[in-house]
Amino acid sequence: MTGRVIVITSGKGGVGKTTTSANIGTALAKEGHKVVLIDTDLGLRNLDLLLGLENRIVYTIVDVIEERCKLKQALVKDKKNPNLSLLAAAQTRDKSAVNAEQLRDICDKLKEKNDFVLVDCPAGIEQGFQNAVAGASEAIVVTTPEMSAIRDADRIIGLLNTKEEITSTRLLLNRVRPNLIKNNEMMSVDDVVGILEVPLIGIIPEDTGIITSTNKGEPIVNDESSLAGQAYRNVAKRILGDEVPFLDLDEPKGLMAKIKNVFAKLKAKV
Amino acid sequence: MEKGFVENGFIINLSNSKNTNQLIYELSNIMEHPDVKGKRICLKLGGIDLKQSQLLSIKALIESTDAEIALVDTVSEQTEASAVSLGILVSKVSDDIQTKNITESVSEGEPVIVKEELVTEEVPVDDNADDFCEGENKVVEVDAGIKTSDISPISTMEGVDDVYTEESEHELSEIIPSEHFETEFEKLAAKEGLISNDDAGKYILLDTGEVLPQGAEEHSKDTKSLPTLYLSQTLRSGQTVTYEGNILIIGDAHPGSEIIAEGDITVWGILGGIAHAGCNGNITSKVRALKLNAIQLRIASLYARRNDTLNVPYVQKTNEFTPEEAQIEDGKIVIYKKLRRD
Repeated sequence: MTGRVIVITSGKGGVGKTTTSANIGTALAKEGHKVVLIDTDLGLRNLDLLLGLENRIVYTIVDVIEERCKLKQALVKDKKNPNLSLLAAAQTRDKSAVNAEQLRDICDKLKEKNDFVLVDCPAGIEQGFQNAVAGASEAIVVTTPEMSAIRDADRIIGLLNTKEEITSTRLLLNRVRPNLIKNNEMMSVDDVVGILEVPLIGIIPEDTGIITSTNKGEPIVNDESSLAGQAYRNVAKRILGDEVPFLDLDEPKGLMAKIKNVFAKLKAKV
Repeated sequence: MEKGFVENGFIINLSNSKNTNQLIYELSNIMEHPDVKGKRICLKLGGIDLKQSQLLSIKALIESTDAEIALVDTVSEQTEASAVSLGILVSKVSDDIQTKNITESVSEGEPVIVKEELVTEEVPVDDNADDFCEGENKVVEVDAGIKTSDISPISTMEGVDDVYTEESEHELSEIIPSEHFETEFEKLAAKEGLISNDDAGKYILLDTGEVLPQGAEEHSKDTKSLPTLYLSQTLRSGQTVTYEGNILIIGDAHPGSEIIAEGDITVWGILGGIAHAGCNGNITSKVRALKLNAIQLRIASLYARRNDTLNVPYVQKTNEFTPEEAQIEDGKIVIYKKLRRD
């Protein structure tokens, strides 16, 4: 079995790389695929918190590289889904503790036994980015509809295009607020795609539920009633090659209202 | 394994427990599972005799995880009487028709729907995995006769061989209750010689395999003879303190920090990060803190993780300190609520 190695990157910090990694990983695992998430943000790790696995980490990626443990030992299994495991970053080290070659080795080993290896990339374009991208053959660029995030995403896409190993680069637009787009206060999805000229893999609406899910250590894809969770599940399906229409966020009176209605009804029943 | 589907509920079978202590042990292990949270629990107690106070303790244990005890299934008269006096629904039935009776006895209260036809079905472990991925409104009956890790949501993880698994036989860290009891439960627990619920399973041992550094052996050197590093500062995320002796920190150790000592670790503040006492194998080492919230507690080669149900997402600043001291006893990490002098 040769799995797919996908790097999740953005350039700018705080646009939702880690949230995206955790949710896509969980969604793919829920579909029955074996998934390993690698946190490459050494020194500023967060992915373990989002999955609620912090208390289980004994060995980290640096321990694997410095041969203090076997790769298998360092994989922390998810609490709920046995298909999902995490290779945590070291919190007490920095990006210089690993190099691109070592990360490529780890990715190569992991993809032999897993369907998907998702690499959560740190912000920036320095060593950390170079490391994270090294073993990957596909990339998902996360951005938000803001000028600064788009500028950084553009830079990242440029860098990804120079990497021969990366055969596909796709865009995930995060924290979209339909009502702001409607009032022309936020760039629309079409605007962003127009600027970046990269195929879109998902549109994630802004959702306050993300905050609670992050604090609880429970990815929002597990919440069936969340729109953002639904959007992430759709992204996972698109990664698997299914054609899923994008959630129509532009017309709040259309699908959004319908979905809200459905949920309101469901809640009323409960 | 028998399996039942109950809407938003769990059936937990504890009828195979040999004594009350084992029953509490099994139950607290089960209650740690996140899926049990907020659910309605049906307890199968078989012929176990429980006093009212014991049953109250069990009720408190269940309620501590936001779950609710919906029904007790027992053939013991004493247990029945205890349950009735506590206002818990009782079903007293033989095994083969029990599910039907559950339906009947519950129907007058909140709707716990048992689909009879599904209940006695033999279900392979793998199917359970699917059930849990689907998530909602399904129940797996848990049999206390087996190890805790054999509870279906956990046991499904064992099927996958090439990923490191948390081993099955982790033991609960044990609590010796002090005389300062705050809750009704603790009073009862002490009276009955039960493990204190408040912290039972606050830490759960991880199976880490061989973790001592090369050349290090388990030993029990008196930590008083070791030098002590005195630090007066806040340890922040990513900071590590390592010392070949005891470490004393006046201040908090935030989550993400690491304190690694060959001897004892004392934190005069909130311990939220990882603490590893006796890192070269000294099994007499202790970890003590004014507030012991460590995400992982490690003494010599024993590693324990904080229980998932103790959700302390931030550096929880507090003025309510409950000094605690952790040490190894009989191959387990034991937490004392009262500091003692040797």
